[in-house]
Amino acid sequence: MIRHLFTLIWNRRRANFLLIAEVFLAFVVLFVVGSMLVYNQQNYRTPLGFGYAHVWRVDLDPGTQPKASYLPTVRQVQALLRAMPEVVAVGRSSSNTPFSGSSNGSPVSTPGQKIVVEHVSGHSLEDPLREVLELPLVAGRWFDHRDDATTLRPAVLTRDLAQRLFAGQSPLGQVVHRNDEDLRIVGLVEQFRPDGDLAEPRPAIFLRVNPQDTTLNEANMLLLRVRPGAGAELERRMSTAILATAKGWNVSITALPEQRAAQLKRTLTPLVALGLVCGFLILNVALGLFGVLWQTINQRRAELGVRRALGATAAAISGQVLGEILVITTFGLVLGLLVAVQFPLLGVFNIKAGVYGTAMALATVGLYALATACALYPSRLAAGIQPAVALREE
Amino acid sequence: MLLSYLNIAWKVLLRRKFFTAISLFGISFTLMILLVVYALFDFTVGPQMPEKRTDRLLFARSMYIWGPTTENQSSPSYSFLEHHIRPLRTPEKVSISTGTGTGVAYVGNQKLKLDQKYTDAEFWQVLDFDFVEGRPYSASEVRDAAHVAVLNETTARRYFGADRGVLGRTLVTDEVRYQVVGVVRDVPATRDFTYADVWLPITTGTQDIHNPEYMGECMAILLARTPQDVPAVQQEFAQAVARAPLPTDVYKWCKEVRLYAGSLLATHVRDFMDSDEPDPGVGRFTRVGAGLLGLFMLLPALSLININISRIRERSSEIGVRKAFGATSGALVRQFLIENIFLTLLGGVLGLGLAAGALHLLNSSDLIAYTEFGLNGRVFGGAVLAVLFFGILSGVYPAYKMSKLQAVKALKGESTPA
Repeated sequence: MIRHLFTLIWNRRRANFLLIAEVFLAFVVLFVVGSMLVYNQQNYRTPLGFGYAHVWRVDLDPGTQPKASYLPTVRQVQALLRAMPEVVAVGRSSSNTPFSGSSNGSPVSTPGQKIVVEHVSGHSLEDPLREVLELPLVAGRWFDHRDDATTLRPAVLTRDLAQRLFAGQSPLGQVVHRNDEDLRIVGLVEQFRPDGDLAEPRPAIFLRVNPQDTTLNEANMLLLRVRPGAGAELERRMSTAILATAKGWNVSITALPEQRAAQLKRTLTPLVALGLVCGFLILNVALGLFGVLWQTINQRRAELGVRRALGATAAAISGQVLGEILVITTFGLVLGLLVAVQFPLLGVFNIKAGVYGTAMALATVGLYALATACALYPSRLAAGIQPAVALREE
Repeated sequence: MLLSYLNIAWKVLLRRKFFTAISLFGISFTLMILLVVYALFDFTVGPQMPEKRTDRLLFARSMYIWGPTTENQSSPSYSFLEHHIRPLRTPEKVSISTGTGTGVAYVGNQKLKLDQKYTDAEFWQVLDFDFVEGRPYSASEVRDAAHVAVLNETTARRYFGADRGVLGRTLVTDEVRYQVVGVVRDVPATRDFTYADVWLPITTGTQDIHNPEYMGECMAILLARTPQDVPAVQQEFAQAVARAPLPTDVYKWCKEVRLYAGSLLATHVRDFMDSDEPDPGVGRFTRVGAGLLGLFMLLPALSLININISRIRERSSEIGVRKAFGATSGALVRQFLIENIFLTLLGGVLGLGLAAGALHLLNSSDLIAYTEFGLNGRVFGGAVLAVLFFGILSGVYPAYKMSKLQAVKALKGESTPA
């Protein structure tokens, strides 16, 4: 039966060519949208690895002030903020704070460059940042005063980075190399994704900013945790107090949830627009398929009438109509899969092959569902043909 | 003749309302999407307030400190532009301004984030802002670092509660007091180089305008005397950049400083493609864009072709009669093409209406601040072109197929061409 259907379609391949082309393009559209959905959904489901709900970022721009006074002023500002009762903790961080859109990527390697992990997100943090960002340690410890006198700068790694560098061994106490500097690993966290909910997860490394450090360069941003319920009123008081201490500076205070919302909006808007356009394209294909099928049934009344007269059941007729469209779909689908499989094979966009695989499966299921839905009404129409009526028309 | 074709077309459309609806849906939604994209494009780089004289304006924003292995990219500094670009002789005027930064003002305890741009006085002369009241700040005010500000209407309304009669009142942003001297109509945020909520004299900003470092946060806008003058301005601009001493004291590896003056479109494309070459890649951008548009139109066009072929089949007896009475294939192709273009035009009108609705939604959604997307002459022209293209694209193949039918077979009701 199925072989028979294939032969039928193959014999009419010229007439069906345009339909197959349409199905093929629809598959490509579904595949592209599916890939993006699966990719973003997988990223979204991965935990961020830190808390942001009550974290504020204070951006201090010294402007034209003399460079020598930068750090003392920032220290004064820190002390002033810490003294506020609504502030739980405050510390300096490098400018690539979570959701800021600013990012960093440097290679981290084992001594002697044996294993190199590229594009690791590096963060210079002061000790209180653990409390500010609620970083949960899974092994070892966070930075503290014991690190003040050590010769090698201490570092905390994410678990995936440690695993790639020291597969099978305990990373604690080991030395890693980053940007001409040797670092001693003191602790591990599970995950840290400052690039945002929809960005691809990547390994991260935290470096300690020594309290004796005399430059501002590496960590020029303040992050602080406030008590729940603090709002615009505190923000205004903070900004006035900071400007009174740091005269002539430029201060901007942003809540991390706000930055996260803005970032999500920026990333999601083009995705939603693309999704809408593709949805329209698919609807267009569905309507077109439906129209063509309906028209075909009307033209083939005589043929279907003869089949009915020779004893075919209504179910057999509608099965044939449905089967034919599914075979056409399969032809388009195979062409589409041939194109889609190039993406993981050629490694386009550096996305995991699993994402493409899931998208292909989704697109295949979607396409068959679409074809079936379009064929349901025409196939019932075909099944309802009365041989006596259909054959008299001839 | 044409009239009778149209008459037939209308009758055919009415005969099978469902098919007509499917076709019209496909055409009008395709056009709606094309029109919305084109309107976004036109409202970003087309001649709109305040960049009305786009054919005479040149922009320079991205600077590349280039070395064989390393490259730094940033905006040029004020002093670089002041010393090397301001003295240019071919342009009528040169304006230097910062990019858009954020300031904070408070209305009671309510925080108001203001996008601020620091500019010189020439800024108001090279661009055409619509002043609702007041005036721009003058060259002497900029020189004396007077604390004066120009606001847009929305900010005036949010901060003072009224968009008229705010001249002379005081705006406190980042704890600095400015006196309002002018209010302009809102500039959409798509106007990347000129958009702001508040414009302030560049001498009152936090940045050091005497810092000799090349990289900074400024940009230059040049106004050529005539559109024909633009290449001459670009040439002098390139010479001036090439003459500037290399900043090897800071960037030891630096072999070249790259900064280009390009049109609004070219500068946007350069930023988008991140190109440090003299050619911003407008050609490539256009080709890729056209390719994507073509791919996008292919699917609805295929769908329309399939439906058209089905519809022709049911008219095979009509075609047979016409052929039997001596109609040539050419005449039939013509008739069918005209019918199809008529259909797409109808869809085009619907599409225009849908696009107007979609743009209105986009404006009121607050997705991009202060947008006033709408349909203008250029967008309308684009729509007509797109409709014709679409109509011909989806009509030619079915019409050709139909004209190949043989009269005898067609009369018998067979619908596959010999």
